[in-house]
Formats: sequence, structure tokens, C-alpha cells
Amino acid sequence: MTASLFDRLGEKAARYLASHASRRGVLGKVGTALAIAPAFPLLPVSRAEAEEKPVSASLTDFERKAQTKDPDKCDYWRHCAIDGVLCGCCGGGVHTCPPGTEPSPVSWIGTCRNPADGLSYVIAYRDCCGRATCNAPADCDCNTADREMPIYKPQTSNDIIWCFGTKSTTYHCSTSAIIGKAS
Amino acid sequence: MNWRSMKFLLSSTFCVSLAMTASRAHAAPTSSPVLQAEVSDTATLPPIGPHWFIPSASEETYQIYDIDKGKVLGTIPATMLANIVIAPDKKNFYVAETIWSRSDHGTRQDLLQVYDAKTLSLTKEIELPPRALAVFAAQDFAVSSDNKWGFIFNMSPATSVSLVDLKAGKVAQTVDIPGCALVYPWKTGGFSRLCGNGSLTNVAFDGGSPTVTHTKPFFDSNNDPVFEQAIVDQKTGQAIFISYTGKVYTTVLGPDPKISAPWSLQEAAGLPAVGTGVQELAWRPGGQQPFAWNAAKGELFVLMHPGNHWSHKTEGSQGWVFNVAEKKLLRRIDLPQPASGIAASPDNDALLYATGHRDGPITVINSSTGDVIKTIPARVGAMSIAPGL
Repeated sequence: MTASLFDRLGEKAARYLASHASRRGVLGKVGTALAIAPAFPLLPVSRAEAEEKPVSASLTDFERKAQTKDPDKCDYWRHCAIDGVLCGCCGGGVHTCPPGTEPSPVSWIGTCRNPADGLSYVIAYRDCCGRATCNAPADCDCNTADREMPIYKPQTSNDIIWCFGTKSTTYHCSTSAIIGKAS
Repeated sequence: MNWRSMKFLLSSTFCVSLAMTASRAHAAPTSSPVLQAEVSDTATLPPIGPHWFIPSASEETYQIYDIDKGKVLGTIPATMLANIVIAPDKKNFYVAETIWSRSDHGTRQDLLQVYDAKTLSLTKEIELPPRALAVFAAQDFAVSSDNKWGFIFNMSPATSVSLVDLKAGKVAQTVDIPGCALVYPWKTGGFSRLCGNGSLTNVAFDGGSPTVTHTKPFFDSNNDPVFEQAIVDQKTGQAIFISYTGKVYTTVLGPDPKISAPWSLQEAAGLPAVGTGVQELAWRPGGQQPFAWNAAKGELFVLMHPGNHWSHKTEGSQGWVFNVAEKKLLRRIDLPQPASGIAASPDNDALLYATGHRDGPITVINSSTGDVIKTIPARVGAMSIAPGL
């Protein structure tokens, strides 16, 4: 695994990283829809995907090694599709922005398997914006590429800088908030 | 006085006495002229050479290297959010950049900056609509081969392309193309874009109204997408799209591009074709800039690593060399250290430039023999540009 693309990132934001393959939304429309409706009208899409291809059928290396104890490590199960600095290493938490920053109302989403119960959950990778990038230790700088797609599939691309809808578009760190059970 | 101070005093005294001795020794007999006062000046660059290599460095600049000399010739300011292009006439460097008036806040400014290739003077700044911002997405920006138009991918988050009149120094128009991203320039008269359904959208444009056409989907965008880092040879318009599993699709870009049946990098190497299994260990393409092209010989260079599907960002431990016309593997080169970026010189005996993820050296490799010619100490990353002939 390479180190994160986002070390010392000056800016970044909402990146979608969804789960299993068959997202069919139109790029621009999906982006617009997410910007207008933060979060979770998209949930049915994720559920549908989870149903199409059960995650337990074949586990990725990340899923095989995922742990449930320490959210400040890249192999924490919810970070299956994250790319950035973990806010828990920066004065925030797994769903909490550090002081001086604000959560992006737009988020990219992933579906991660919790090894504790074997269930998949929809995760909103909400970035915290408005300050220069948190310089946390390298262990907190994550870039997992499971099901990661090129930019022409933006809802699943983790290279896109997307901090629309915050006062300042500067990227600070990333959170992984549970939205609900995926299946 | 402690030991450290004493040591300093002793060494200072020694240096002074040594200097005095030297001065006495040389003062009398020499007839060489006394060194004159110097005037500070500024260097300029020679014409862009075939062995120039311009990699990103510390995510803030691109450094111009003369590989033969192993030295930096100059610096082009461009962050990891910027895109950089050498003008077709090699007289300018174009940088599409985004900055904020107060560093991490304030007014956002999107600019197409024009640097003179001899002086590196910033000669022009063209204001742009909000560009698409992504980490080192080189295919966000292209310049037409006649040097008249810049094509810049926008995302607001609706997607469009700015058509920039480079001579007039302004955005002539913006084309909305929902569902598609990036820009792949034609030989002349337009550009194509990759779309979420696995097709190309083609935009014919030469100053008038753009005409948009679409191909049928030709790759499986849900399970085996093509890398965004496709090769485009602007002299011929040939494009090479390579998928995560190593399927190669070639075409000549234009209003109605005919896309070849795919062939497999691994099959060309005498190995089984590779699938999308998440536990299917095989040689796969990967890295931040995994492909390079040498037009003189029609050779494609690919960073390859052993991995499962979705390991497309993993650095390459080998560089594979292909003759694309013959769909044939020519050789596999073991890299001295894993590389995340590769580039090639444009001349007949291509030099390969392999670089790591960030802050590393440049490994210069003879593409014909696979021999490491030299390793240039540097602090550069995976993304780079190399001039054409």
C-alpha cells in the first residue's frame, strides 16, 4: 500500500467512495444531488448495491485485516474507503471535527464491513474543512483503495478535492460516521 | 570554559592561523588578478531539450531537471492541485492553478498561468471558472496542438470544460458535459472525455460551436475501469486506455473514434489474462503515474506489481515495455526500488525516469537494456512531465 496521496494536503474535501461496483449515477447529477441534499437520499443506492453483491462473498485484504478497537488507525473497519488524515488524531474524533474546523455538508460514502457483527454499514466520509491540513503522524494518514474508481466515477473516486458548501474549502482531516446498516 | 567552547576556540584559532599562513604563502609570487566585485544577475534557460524531466516536488513546485547533467535548471510553481503542460511550440509552460487570497481561506482564484520557457517569467494569468480539484489529476488540462486552445475540466460539482482562448487570454466558452470527466486532446480540432458509463464523449471544437458525439460504452466502468492516466500521442491522436486488470484499448481520438478490441498486458507477456478477483494475485498495473510513452519507437512503459484487484494505486516493482502496434511485451525491467511514477524521454533510445511517491530520487534507466544509468539525488514525487520531440 502506498502512503496517502493526501499528506500535507492543502485542500481537499468531499470524495465519494462507495462500495460495490455497480453505481450507475450520472457524474454531474450525482454531484449536484449530493451537494443539494447532504447525505442520504443516496442510501437506497448503497443498499441496492450491497444486495447485488454480498460483501461476505469475497473479502478484500482490508476486510480480512480490519480491526474494531482503535479508530485512530488506518485499519479500523470504518476506514475501508478513506483517503486523508484521521480527525481522531487531530483533536476530533471518528465523527467529530477538531476545534476551528467545520464538517463538510457534502460527503462521499462507502460501505464497510464490521468484523464484530459481520454486517455492512454505510459510512459518510465527512471531511472537516476551514484550516490548513492537520499534520498528524504518518500512521494517521490513510489511503485505502478498495473499490476506488477514477474521477469519471466521482462518487467512488478518492482523489477528488471536494469541499463544496463550507465557509472555507480548505481540507483539514477526515471522519468516518456511520449512517446506517447497508443490508 | 567547558570542553565544547574550548574546542571551538582551538579550531577557530587554527583556522585563522591557517588562513594567514596561506595568505602569506600566496601573496608575493602570484601574478593572477585580484578577484573583482560581482554583479548579481538571473539565469535563463536553454531551449527545452529531449532529456529534460520535470517532476513534482514537495507538492508545491515542478522542478526542471537536465537529466544528462543531473541538475536542476529551474522551478515552476505548481501545487498538487495544479496541472502543467509544455506549450506545443515549447515557448511556454502552462499551469492551471487554484489559490486562495488568505492561504486557507478568503477568495478562491482559478487561473491559467503562462510562464516563459526561457526566463520563467509569469507573462500572463487568465481567470477561470472553478476548476475540478483533485490530487495530481494531470488529465484535467490539455492544450490543442496548434497552441490556440486550452481545455480545462471544471467541477462545481456539475461538470463542464472551459475552452480557453490562449491568444486572447480569456475563456471563450464553457461546455457542459454531464456524466463525463477529464480531457484527452485530439491531433487537431477537439478533445474527448471519459464517461461514467464506460464511453467516450467527443467534442469537436475549433473556435465555433462545439459539436458533441458519444461512443458506445467500451469498457466495464463498474468493475474494471480504465485508468484516468491514459496515454495520448498528440502528434497522431492515438490514445491508449488501460484498465485496472491490464486490458488495453487503443483508438485514434476524433469525432467518431473506433476503439480496438482490448488486449491484455499479461497475455502479451505470456501469462494468463487477469480478472477482478479481490484475492486473485497477479501482475497488475498501478501507481500514481503508471504509464509512459515513447513516440519514436511506439513503446509503452507500464509500472507493474503483484497484487489483487483494487491494488491500482500500489507502486510498481517492475517496468514492462510493450510494442503497442504488435501488442507484444519487449522486456520486463526490475526497478531498484518501487516506483509510483514513470516517464520517458521522446528520443530513439528512450531514457526511463522512475520516481517514488514523494521526496525521493530520480532513477534513470536505459529502456532498451533495463540498466540503471544513474540515480539523481532529488526530492521529487510520482507526477511529472517530459517534453515531446
